[in-house]
Formats: sequence, C-alpha cells, structure tokens
Amino acid sequence: MHSISFAALFLSMLAGVGVVSYAGVKALKDDFSTVGLLEKGQIVLTIVVLCVSAVLLYALAVRDFSYVYVRDYTDALLPMFYAITAFWAGQNGSFLFWYLGVAVMGWCMIYTPGYARLDERTKVFFWLFFFLVQLFFLFALTGPSNPFLRLDPVPADGRGLNPLLQHPGMIIHPPLLFLGYAGFTVPCCLALASRLSGNGYEWLNLARNWVILSWILLTSGIILGAWWAYLELGWGGYWAWDPVENSSLVPWLSATAFIHTAIVGRTRKSLLRTNVFLVSLTLLLCFFATFVVRSGLIDSVHAFGGSRMGIPLLVFMVVSLALTLYVCLVPREDDPKDLDDFVSRPGMLFLSAWLFLFLALIIFFGILWPVISSIWSANPVGLEAGFYNRVCLPLFVFLALVMPFCPWLGQKGGIKDKGSVMAIIAVGLGIAGVLYALGYQKPLALMAAAASAMIMVSVFLVFVREASLRTFKPAWGAYGVHLGVALMVLGVAFSGPYKIEQNAVLHTGETMTVGEYTFTYEGLRHDHDHPAMNVHEARLVASRDGKVVGIMTPQKRLYHSFSQSSFAEVSVIPSLGSEIYATLLGFDEQDTASVRVSINPLVNWIWIGGTLSCLLAFFCWRKIEHP
Amino acid sequence: MSSAKNQKWVYMVAALLVGAGVGYLIVSGLSQNSMYFLNVSEALAMPADKLTQARLFGSVSEEGLVKDEQSLGVDFYVLDKDNPLDAIYVQYRGAVPDTFKPGVEVILEGAFMEGGRDFKATTLLTKCPSKYEKNDQGQMRPPGYSS
Repeated sequence: MHSISFAALFLSMLAGVGVVSYAGVKALKDDFSTVGLLEKGQIVLTIVVLCVSAVLLYALAVRDFSYVYVRDYTDALLPMFYAITAFWAGQNGSFLFWYLGVAVMGWCMIYTPGYARLDERTKVFFWLFFFLVQLFFLFALTGPSNPFLRLDPVPADGRGLNPLLQHPGMIIHPPLLFLGYAGFTVPCCLALASRLSGNGYEWLNLARNWVILSWILLTSGIILGAWWAYLELGWGGYWAWDPVENSSLVPWLSATAFIHTAIVGRTRKSLLRTNVFLVSLTLLLCFFATFVVRSGLIDSVHAFGGSRMGIPLLVFMVVSLALTLYVCLVPREDDPKDLDDFVSRPGMLFLSAWLFLFLALIIFFGILWPVISSIWSANPVGLEAGFYNRVCLPLFVFLALVMPFCPWLGQKGGIKDKGSVMAIIAVGLGIAGVLYALGYQKPLALMAAAASAMIMVSVFLVFVREASLRTFKPAWGAYGVHLGVALMVLGVAFSGPYKIEQNAVLHTGETMTVGEYTFTYEGLRHDHDHPAMNVHEARLVASRDGKVVGIMTPQKRLYHSFSQSSFAEVSVIPSLGSEIYATLLGFDEQDTASVRVSINPLVNWIWIGGTLSCLLAFFCWRKIEHP
Repeated sequence: MSSAKNQKWVYMVAALLVGAGVGYLIVSGLSQNSMYFLNVSEALAMPADKLTQARLFGSVSEEGLVKDEQSLGVDFYVLDKDNPLDAIYVQYRGAVPDTFKPGVEVILEGAFMEGGRDFKATTLLTKCPSKYEKNDQGQMRPPGYSS
C-alpha cells in the first residue's frame, strides 16, 4: 500500500497541474467553460486524499511498523485512541491532514448555495487559486514530507508517542489549528477570484460562514493548546510567548482584524482592497506559522527539528504574496467611498482592525527578530517574554477599553444612548475603585478588569435597550463572542499579575505556606504495578484557616518506553476563584520531596470565556439563499 | 457633521497617536527586553564586556554535573551543539525540569558573572517534545519539555 498511496498522490499532482494549465490557458482567452472540469477535478482529488488518509489511519490502527511514520509515532502498547490520533503527531501526517481538510472543504464548497451564486468567471478563478494551494500540498506530500515511506526490515515495535502528548487537549489542539488554517483557504480564494472578476462586495457575504467556521476552529485550537500547556507541562503558566505559540496567534490576529473590516465592507460598501488583502494575508500567515514551526529558522523550546519543508514553504509564501499584491493592486472601478466619521461604529471597527494588525505586526517581527537583527549585529538578538508583555498587553487592554462603547455609536457617528454610556463608564470607574481599595493596584490589570466589567454591562444593556436584537441570532453571536472575550480579559488580568508561586523542599510531616494556604506534606506513595509506568505520588493536604480545603496528589511518572525521563502530572484543586496548582519536582530515597505550589486567581475564566466565545460564534452563522 | 476631508485628518491624527504609542512601547521593549540569542561558541567568541543578558542554546555535558538532590538547582557545563569542545560553566537555582539530564538540549536565560566566563542562569528550559528527531548517529534525541 505504501507505493500505491504514494502513486495516487503523485498522479493527483500531475492531474492537478494538467487541469490548472488547461483551465488557465482557456481563461486567458476569456473562455470559462472549464468550470465543470475543475469541479470534477476537485472531487477526484478529494476522493484520492480520503483514500490515502484511510490507508494511513488503518496502518496506525493495526500498528503496521513497515511505515516509517507509524514506527516513529506509535508503539504496540499505545491505546488505540492515541494511535489513531498519531495521524497528526508528526509533520508528514499533519501536512496530509491539513491537505485533507482543504480538499474536503473544497468539495463541500461545490454544493453550497453561496457557490451557486457565483458566475462562471469567478468560479474558474476560484478553482485556479484553490488548485494552486492544493498543488503545494501535493508537492510536499510526494516530496519532502512523504508519510508513506517504507521501512525495511520491519522493526518489532515502534518508538511510541511522547507521554506529554497523550492528553486530550493535545490530541484535539493540532487538528483544530490545521482545520482552521485549511478553512481560510476558501474565503481567501473566493476574495481573490471575486476581485479579479470585478465582483464587488458580494463575496463578503458568501465567505462569511467560512470565515466564522475557520475563526472558531483557530480560536479553539489556540485556547486548547494553552489549556494543555497549563495542565500538562506543570510550569503553571499557559502562554510563554514562545515563537511557536506566537506564530499561531499571528494569523488569528489578522483573521480577527479582517472580521472587523468585513463588517464595514458589508454594511458601508467600502474597504474592498483592504478586505481582500486581509483575508489573503490571513492564509499566508497560516503558512508562515507552519514555516516558523517547521523550518528550524528560529530556536524555540518546541523542538520540531529542522525539516526539509522550510524552503518550499518560503517559496510558496513569496509567490502567493506577490500574487495577492498583484490582485489587490490591479485597478478596478470600485468607487472609493468617503471615510465614515472616526467616532462612529465603522470608525471604531476600523480602529480595532488597526490594533489587531499592529499586534500581528509586532508579534510577527518579534518572532523574526533574531533573524532580522543579524543584519546589523554579528550575533542574533532576540526578545524575551517581557517584551511581548510590555508591548502587546497595553494594546490588548486598549482594545478591551474601546469594546464596550462600540455598540452605542451610530453608523454615521454620534452616540445613540448617552444614559447607557454614562452607566457603563460609572460601572468601570466603580469596579476600578473597589479593586484599588482591595489592594489590586497594578495599573494595567486594573484597567483590564474595569474594561471587562464594562464590556459585560454593555452587552447586557444592549439587549435591554434594543428589543429587536433579542430575537436576532447573529447579534447573540456577535455580542456573545465579546462577552466571552470579557471573561478571558478578566482571567488574564488576574491570573498573570496576581499569581503566587513558591518552591519548597519538604520532609514528611513538614508544611509550607503559600498566600493564605498551608500545605502539609504527608509522604510519597510508590506504585510499580501499572503496566506502562511507575508512579510516584506525593500527598499534600491543603488547608486555609485550619480548615482542610483539599488533598493534592501531584505525581512523577516514569514511563517504561521513555525510561530515561520522568514526567510530572500536575494536581489542582479547581476553583472559579483561586485555583491551587501543585507540581512534584523531585524526591529522594528518604521520600523528601521538592514541590512547587501556586495560587492562580481566576485562571479558569480564561477557558470558560474562550469556550463561550467559540460556541456562541456559531450564532453568527447566516443562511445563504440558493439563487 | 464634518466633511470627508476633515475625517481624513481625524483618521490620520488617530493613526499617528496610536502609532506613536505603539512605537514608544516597541522602542522601550527593544531596549529593555532584548538579549543576545547565542550558541555556546558564539558566546565564547564575544568580548566579555558586551555580554550581559543572554539566551544560550546548547546541550548538557555529562562531566561536572552537580545536581541538587531536590531538583531545586544544578551546576553543569553547557556544550556547543556543533563544537562540543566549547563549554560554559552554568550555575542555576530554581526548579530543574524533569527532562534535564546529560545530552539534552537546553535553553538558558541569564547573565555572565562579573569578570569570569561563568553563566548564572535564571531560567532553564529543555526542548519541547512536539516531535522526535533522530540525531546523526541514528539514536533518538531524548524528549524534553519546557518547564
């Protein structure tokens, strides 16, 4: 099956090149009769990739170690669930998965009412762009990133999946990111095609659902990644501003900027070029994210290792950027509109988009700083996490402060309801005052908390004052997402600056005090009976004011297939207020343990807010009528 | 309320203000939160007075490793990945990641101690296991993770 799968992908690529060339030449002669051929081509490509994916899945399920990929990411002892999800554990499999996502979404596109509304010309342009993206994947999968390499002789067992990756958060996080990346292919190709055929603003409506879906996937992927890092890595944080984390945030920021300018585009019929450029930029940045992860250009704690995908990705990005710029800059007779009042809803949407783009730019250059700085410095200069905290957090807070007021601005300027705006300001000042009096005096965190409260009050008042919105589902979606954001802002504002953390070496019976809590160490339990690992578990009794609040059992696990390394299993006492979090760092023969305990205030609101944002965003979905 | 021309000015002034704010943040961030990203050999080749804050990349040497019993600190030599003869002595106090051991790749942040070539690390990270890669000898690189 190795060679058959490979051959199928290779033939797909040849067929794709053939179809694109044929349709491209015809299109140059203003002949757009090739739509049917392109659609059939898409269906064939999708069927092929579905079949080869099934082959790889089956090989993973039965642990066919004659595949290099199966050997590298599974072993005989690995539970079936994790074996199957090893599909996207490595680079070659994740490229196949990404391509699978793109192809299936292309296939679905054919049957959507939005697609039916396009004219032949736009359809042909759409498929030309769409095939180009797919050809890149086919090139990768049949060349530098082939998941069907054969191993001879066949080894008796595989290398196993890293224990840290054996966690539900880690299993779902990568495919969500890849599906999000894949999802942006459709709106991007649609935008470029519509622009080329001079179709105005219609595409913004047709691409809307695709954008929302992709945004939800990307957002949930990023949040799950942070949640996994928090629960599994045992360092007590969720975001380290590492290049690999940052690189998934950059396309998210650009996508979010686009969502805001798209509203202006749809309602005010302006910013056409900006919108086309931003949605294309988003897809390009998805590839950039992969480039950062895979090229080995930037040193990161995520050791994906240098692979051979760096140069092909770079070439693809440069060519696509040139193509995008060409399409955006080609003059079309769209009448340029006058700008709306700055202090109006479109004006503020525009401002938000700026801020998102500023953030994207800063992080983009931050990631590349070690490379850029080598132009003038003999040795590369990089940025530590403190840089991003200093530069990005104020911008995020500024965004959060703008948010509560946007709903109260008119489309053409002016404030719609002065009373509500005053009430929101009063709540913000009140909350800030109370928190200051309670001792929460760090300015940025204080402003963020006040902003969060103002957003919540604002959303509440919008539904109180505007009865028509209560039955309008997209409004539930839009305001719901922002409500989730408010909760996340609150979580970040407190869990970061007000976290208390302490390390201690404890003998059995000793106690340590962290914040208002006391922890008594009651000794270690050693479990050697587990088939896959040895478990060493510390027992910590947490109490507050003499009352026991919970028992914590942080573990150290020694997996048999990873005998040289131990893995910490965090123990938490979950809370919507202050969550207590303990890690067992080490121990000796006398069962003396070194532990790290932290108190993380409001940290769970980040996950709750994130989940709310992702789920409520589905309300933004709008049905598109068949023509 | 105002003409299109006026609005253009409003947008430009707003852009200027936001841009100036962001610019200030970036400049102050660059001056205070940037550091050299160096391999061990590169760090050794630099004049001592230029080396204050730095992030070092290298691998842990087997010789000279003194680990605190309780994993709350470690002294060791970090070797250059390509020239294992280049080494810097590192003193680190704090939680030592599970995966820290001879041979693993580490990322250190800290400063060189005055006068000497010893490095006082404030953070010690081992590389994350997102993917296993074989090294040149065909052996597995041990897994690690950020701590």
